[in-house]
Amino acid sequence: MRPKSRRTRVLAGGAGLALAIALIAPAIANADSASPSASPSAPPVTFTVGVTTDIDSANPFTGILAESYEIYQLEYPTLTEYSAADFGTVPGLAESWTESADKTTWTYKIRAGLKWSDGVPLTAKDAAYTFNRILNGDYEKTNFGSYVANITKAEAPDDTTLVLTVAKPSPIMAKLSVYILPEHIWKSVDENAVKSYKNEGTEAVPTVGAGPFLMIERRVGQFIRMKANPDFWRGKPAVDEVVFKVYKNGDALGQALKKGEIDFADSLEANVFRSLEGAPGVTTVQAVYSGFSELAFNTGAALDDGTAIGDGNPLLKDKSLRQALGWAIDRQVIVNKVLGGGGTAGSTIIPPLYASLHLDPANPVGYDPAKAKTLLDAAGYPVGADGIRANANGDRLSFRLFVRSDSAESKKSGEFLKGFLNAVGVEVNVKVMSSDALTEIIGQGNFDMFEWGWVVEPDPNYQLSTFICANRSYKDAGSILANLSDSFYCNPAYDALFEQQSTETNVDKRAALVKQMQQMLYDDAPYVVTYYYPNYEAYRSDRFEGLVPQPNPDGALLFQYGTWSYESLRPVTTISPGPSNEPTNQGSSSLNWILIGGLAALVIIVVVVGVTLRRGRENDMNSNEE
Amino acid sequence: MSVVPDVAATASPVRQQQHWSPSPTSRYVARRVLAAISTFIFVIFFNFFLFRIMPGDPIALYTRGRNVDPIQIHELRARLNAPIMEQFGQYLRNPFTGNGPSVKYSAPVWEVIGPHVWPTILLVGSATIIATIVGVWLGIRSGWNRGGKFDQVSTNTTLVLYSMPEFWFGMIMLIVFAVGVGPIPGLFPTGGISTPGVDTSSVKGVLDVAWHLFLPVTTLAVIYLAEYSLIMRASIIDETSQDYLKTARAKGLMDKMVRRKHAVPNALLPTMTLVFLNLGFVVGGAITIEFVFSINGLGSLTVDALSGPDVPLLQALFLLFSGAVIFANLVADLLYGYFDPRVRT
Repeated sequence: MRPKSRRTRVLAGGAGLALAIALIAPAIANADSASPSASPSAPPVTFTVGVTTDIDSANPFTGILAESYEIYQLEYPTLTEYSAADFGTVPGLAESWTESADKTTWTYKIRAGLKWSDGVPLTAKDAAYTFNRILNGDYEKTNFGSYVANITKAEAPDDTTLVLTVAKPSPIMAKLSVYILPEHIWKSVDENAVKSYKNEGTEAVPTVGAGPFLMIERRVGQFIRMKANPDFWRGKPAVDEVVFKVYKNGDALGQALKKGEIDFADSLEANVFRSLEGAPGVTTVQAVYSGFSELAFNTGAALDDGTAIGDGNPLLKDKSLRQALGWAIDRQVIVNKVLGGGGTAGSTIIPPLYASLHLDPANPVGYDPAKAKTLLDAAGYPVGADGIRANANGDRLSFRLFVRSDSAESKKSGEFLKGFLNAVGVEVNVKVMSSDALTEIIGQGNFDMFEWGWVVEPDPNYQLSTFICANRSYKDAGSILANLSDSFYCNPAYDALFEQQSTETNVDKRAALVKQMQQMLYDDAPYVVTYYYPNYEAYRSDRFEGLVPQPNPDGALLFQYGTWSYESLRPVTTISPGPSNEPTNQGSSSLNWILIGGLAALVIIVVVVGVTLRRGRENDMNSNEE
Repeated sequence: MSVVPDVAATASPVRQQQHWSPSPTSRYVARRVLAAISTFIFVIFFNFFLFRIMPGDPIALYTRGRNVDPIQIHELRARLNAPIMEQFGQYLRNPFTGNGPSVKYSAPVWEVIGPHVWPTILLVGSATIIATIVGVWLGIRSGWNRGGKFDQVSTNTTLVLYSMPEFWFGMIMLIVFAVGVGPIPGLFPTGGISTPGVDTSSVKGVLDVAWHLFLPVTTLAVIYLAEYSLIMRASIIDETSQDYLKTARAKGLMDKMVRRKHAVPNALLPTMTLVFLNLGFVVGGAITIEFVFSINGLGSLTVDALSGPDVPLLQALFLLFSGAVIFANLVADLLYGYFDPRVRT
């Protein structure tokens, strides 16, 4: 009898607990929905962006990933900006700028009456401080050194004037992608503290900036929350919060968009992108992108002083051989099979989305295996007995092709390239390795060919510099260290043009030089540019509208050079406000129900465990009695 | 008749008789602790050289395609490429700082590791505990009635779940229970461990984390289940043929009591070892499940550090993982010695 009564008591207790929780749970749930409605304004509008990589640091002197730069440009202004329409230079923090007649100084007129988000005035002194900090800094130069290398002095004679003195004329002065930081915050972070300075805003103390959004919370590896800056000089954005949520795999990212947990998905994989096409409420955007992929040749690895290094096949030093191989590769097939239909066949190293700089060669090299064979015969590589071509000395056209294990596209491209080259009598041994291993191998010159790619900035200087003689590997303390060049291309005529474009401040004249350089690289063929990447993006068009592509009309909607979409983005307003509000509330109401359900489940578990333990103890007693 | 009281009964008199020399118990403990310490010292040395034979040029990789001045690249590299003996000396002075800050994150390694520890322990720790409890229970029931209906269903089910590819199973769980299929509503979030903007220190925040972790923990626990249920089943089957069970039955004890009081305590020993070994691996995370459910655990951090490679971060992680395994092993050894007096001598 006794045990039974005990069990009843446990059950009664459990039921009471369940009842209590059932009463409290709605209160907890309501507390959430009650607080926003308590304020007279509408509930905050949050735009959630799903990304596949977390930022590496919120400190603009430290971060290196594209995601980090998206955060920096949302927080901090730059002197000038890249237009959404065509990457043209447009005013930013500086209303206007002029190069002095003697080309030694640049004067920027800074907007008057601006404020940092904490109310402190934003003046030319902040800009001068930022440039001087980088100029005098060591660590600070890592991310911005290439922009300030040519600057010798930064001064702010008054609150609206910034004067930068340069060592030689430079077109980069109109496109300084340097984030202007608030002096009153950063002056207390000294050169040692800056290395580990996190710069992560909190709800209580948001990051002090002047861009459209400011960080209010960061959870490493999970999400970043940013709230709209009401004092942003182009006007307060229409959405109240932007959240970047990290998804570690592309499939989950696509599913989250389909479900509506996020409003925007960036850098989708081709198959996920296709699966989102036609999903209700979702608009997919196959944007053009600033990246290209290439088959690179070892054109004769050497140090910057000309000393030969590495074990590359010397036959690839022959320009006519490289040119002939270009005709053997069907770039369109690679686009179709490797990229899943997006992207375009490649030609020159400045992608076509930079319309004013990209060169469409007048002598396009297309897919023509017959021509490739003729050219190879003419270059002195007849087909040998084993079907592989060789020169008069018997050196066979047999090359190693290194591809990256961490990129599915790279591995697939490798197989296609091998097939195309085999078809014209060239033997290719594909070897798959990690990017880490390949980086080291390239620096040492120990390769024949490899597949990799680049993402090209709106300013072409950096990309062009990867082909100059001075940027080949170098030697320090006995060991060979990699520099920017990975094809070891070296051509004095190209170097001369590079110098010329790097000091040409006339936009049109510089574009002509840049095109001339692309033509030179196209003809000398250190790279065969196989394709230009697509950028697969998708968003909830049933909730948000007003995103602007860069460039117009088929560019990316987010992760641009600029914050245009974040500023113009707005929630969809329909005639009846009901349905448009529904999806946003759905998430939180289902959360509340889950919470209640979870509590009930917890109570049941507690009761069951309690009863089981009781029974166990009763049995113990029984056994003792036995 | 169970083992546990026997240990207590035999251990104490021995200790009293041999008070002039260390008792077998303290000798056993000392031996185990020494072994653990020496293993760890070996790991500290090994750790330094292990990651230095990996190929790579982290600075070149991290700066590839970024507008970084070659002069800066050279300076970054110089900071990293100190002479190996100098690095070794620096490392030995304090192995736990992992030879300077993380290359990729430019932050002290423990600051990088910190935020990943709790998600890992919550995910893998709770999954291990749930899998242990349920698995042991299933194993006892199956083994005691070997070949019975329960045994057949339980063994086959757990084996099927165990053999499923983790990634695939995780994705199925995610699509069915997070996104929703047909009449099944998507009840759970598609990733992460908390809702942005919800204070995790509040009641609601705690429930929110539980809601986020429900699917990944369940998935992982279900996958782990077979490991425990099969071991437990095998040990129960071993015990059923023992004479002492016949004695117990001969005394007229109920079948349930024989199982509970006699067979299970003895059969638990191998499972206990497995549990402790696995607890050591908890901090290593569960890479696949972390990727499927977007949880920022130590498993994915390790994968991240491997690209580059980020040697200081890898060193610290490796030290943490091996330390945890060595410690868990030590605990398992000591407990085993406590529960099973045979291993002490």
